[in-house]
Amino acid sequence: MPLANKTEKSEGHVGEPLVRVEALRKSFGSLEVLKNINLDVMPKEVVTIIGASGSGKSTLLRCINLLETPDAGHVWFHGSDLAAEHVNVNRLREKIGMVFQSFNLFNNMNVLGNCTLAPVTLKKASKAEAEETAMRRLEEVGLADFAHADVNTLSGGQKQRVAIARALCMNPELMLFDEPTSALDPEIVGEVLGVMHDLAQQGMTMVVVTHEMEFAKSVSDRVVFMDNGVIAEEGTPKQIFGNPKQARTREFLARYLDD
Amino acid sequence: MSSENEEATAADAVAAAKQASSRGGRLRRLGKFVGGDHRYVLLSTSVIALIGIWLSMQKRTDMSFLAPVYFVEVAMYYSLVAWLILSAAALVTKLMHWRDYAERSPFARNPLRTIERIGSYIVVIITCVLFVDRVVMGFASVTVHAIEADSIPQGGLAAAIYMVYECRDLFVTGILTTVELAVFGTIIAFFLALLLATLRILTIDKPDNDLVRFFKVVGANFAKLYSTVIRGTPMMVQALIIYNAGFAFLRGMGLSVTEINGLWSTFIAGLVTVSINSTAYMMEVLRGGLESVDPGQMEAARSLGLSQWQAMVKVVFPQGIKYAVPGLSNELVINIKDSSVLSIIGVVELMFEARSVAGIYYRNLEVYLVAAVCYLILTMVATWLLNRLSRRLDAPRFSNTSESASAVGE
Ligand SMILES: Nc1ncnc2c1ncn2[C@@H]1O[C@H](COP(=O)(O)OP(=O)(O)OP(=O)(O)O)[C@@H](O)[C@H]1O
Ligand SMILES: [Mg+2]
Repeated sequence: MPLANKTEKSEGHVGEPLVRVEALRKSFGSLEVLKNINLDVMPKEVVTIIGASGSGKSTLLRCINLLETPDAGHVWFHGSDLAAEHVNVNRLREKIGMVFQSFNLFNNMNVLGNCTLAPVTLKKASKAEAEETAMRRLEEVGLADFAHADVNTLSGGQKQRVAIARALCMNPELMLFDEPTSALDPEIVGEVLGVMHDLAQQGMTMVVVTHEMEFAKSVSDRVVFMDNGVIAEEGTPKQIFGNPKQARTREFLARYLDD
Repeated sequence: MSSENEEATAADAVAAAKQASSRGGRLRRLGKFVGGDHRYVLLSTSVIALIGIWLSMQKRTDMSFLAPVYFVEVAMYYSLVAWLILSAAALVTKLMHWRDYAERSPFARNPLRTIERIGSYIVVIITCVLFVDRVVMGFASVTVHAIEADSIPQGGLAAAIYMVYECRDLFVTGILTTVELAVFGTIIAFFLALLLATLRILTIDKPDNDLVRFFKVVGANFAKLYSTVIRGTPMMVQALIIYNAGFAFLRGMGLSVTEINGLWSTFIAGLVTVSINSTAYMMEVLRGGLESVDPGQMEAARSLGLSQWQAMVKVVFPQGIKYAVPGLSNELVINIKDSSVLSIIGVVELMFEARSVAGIYYRNLEVYLVAAVCYLILTMVATWLLNRLSRRLDAPRFSNTSESASAVGE
């Protein structure tokens, strides 16, 4: 899909990282899924994570908002350690939006209900304010006309755009995307990537797990290649796609870029 | 009718032997041939005519309205016989011209065809009239006699009606008590079950403090134990234990027996038993419903910052309870029936009353058949109402869909 080339906003990410992952480990039973992961995400940066199935990409993403509890290591958000006892995960998650591969829209509500549930329940806004915000967000993803539609009647692309709008209604500082287009038909992948591209242009900090190499190339500031629970290589899209240093990176990319 | 069938079988042997060798094919062709275009008009109305003739041969009761106009019934009887003859004739011509029946048989053409159709309506009407005269009026007559009788009549039906009429107050209180036990018991059990099912599926969450964690662990294990104990013992035993335990407890508090009977009546003990028993089963039903909600729903809610409890209440419960509605409805029906064991502690419900009536007249079979019919009607009504209710619960969803359809149209 044709995406406008990246603007220059990526230059000069300075200061404190928004997210710092340090020596992160996670196992499921005897299966070691994450082995000593270190990763910094600067404010306004777009990081894409690529890698083979089962390499631990989703697990890493889910450790950042503590949907999975890390076994060891630290995740710092805004300079505070999420593993610390006093940190309220619920407050933290308000600032981190997440978009899932399978949309996970609330089936018992319509589109507007999905977007206003969290702001109203968490008393971030009155019902009227929340609906106003939701309508603005839905407009941004091009679905204002569907505000009162039952979520089960939407197409996959529409569902995923609603899911993005729902996350944005909490005014997050960071957005996590876990293969947002993998469950979609090829011809509607573009509508979701378009929305994500706009979001990146607006300066949202994003961590995106994806198999859309075109998107990784054109939108991200940094590409992280994961293999078998470790970060095998990371760098600018130009480095990773143009001149990968590791043999396994080349191998992985060859499979995607051939077709 | 039966002679027709014999002819058909005999003729079929000839006709079909020429045509087919396989037995299945032969039988199928016979069925098609006999049925043909006369399936409804001649064959099924012949059966109805036979039923009418049989009814006409039954004894007339004193409430029969055909008795004073005997000649009408005679006319009706012979009309039915004539119809049977006509049907037989039609079948015979059909068998004679089995190759080109449609062209050759006069029965397949007007005006006979029209007469056949009109005749078939008349046959149905005549049989209906005979049914009302013999069965409905017969039942009415038995009822009137049974009600007027001074002592219990011999006949089974008459005895049942006599007992229902004489002891109507007992049956009405029994039915009302049964309904109260089942309805209130199910409602109380639903809320208790919701509580226990929640305790059972809540998991330890990072923001929980030690106290919350402690209660979650204790709650989950309590729910598990509760379910095992209650579902593993008979309700009759539970009723006896609960009633006597309550009695002993109040006695220990120094209350007199009359005071206790006012406070801890058998009805209250029965209601407690039904509630406690049904809670265990409903908890399992609810747990099944809640667990069949996609875990992604919970994750999405948590990722937005909702607490586990908020996510449960706003997202998981509404979906899970909907899945559980059929199973929960079933519990009401079960409670209607199973409350019958409470007669063991003397709850004055339908079964208790039926037993008292049986004790008065020594007609056990009839009384218990009446009780069975009462339970059947109660459960059928409950099922019907619950079906309507569950359709109503789905209604918002349907209206939402139409709303979204119009939104797409804009
Ligand atoms: N909750 C869990 N329990 C047990 N094993 C798990 C769990 N979640 C993930 N795994 C395992 O951990 C490994 C890494 O999973 P993960 O989902 O992080 O991979 P991934 O890189 O996202 O793969 P994909 O591209 O298929 O999404 C897989 O082998 C998976 O089976
Ligand atoms: Mg994954």
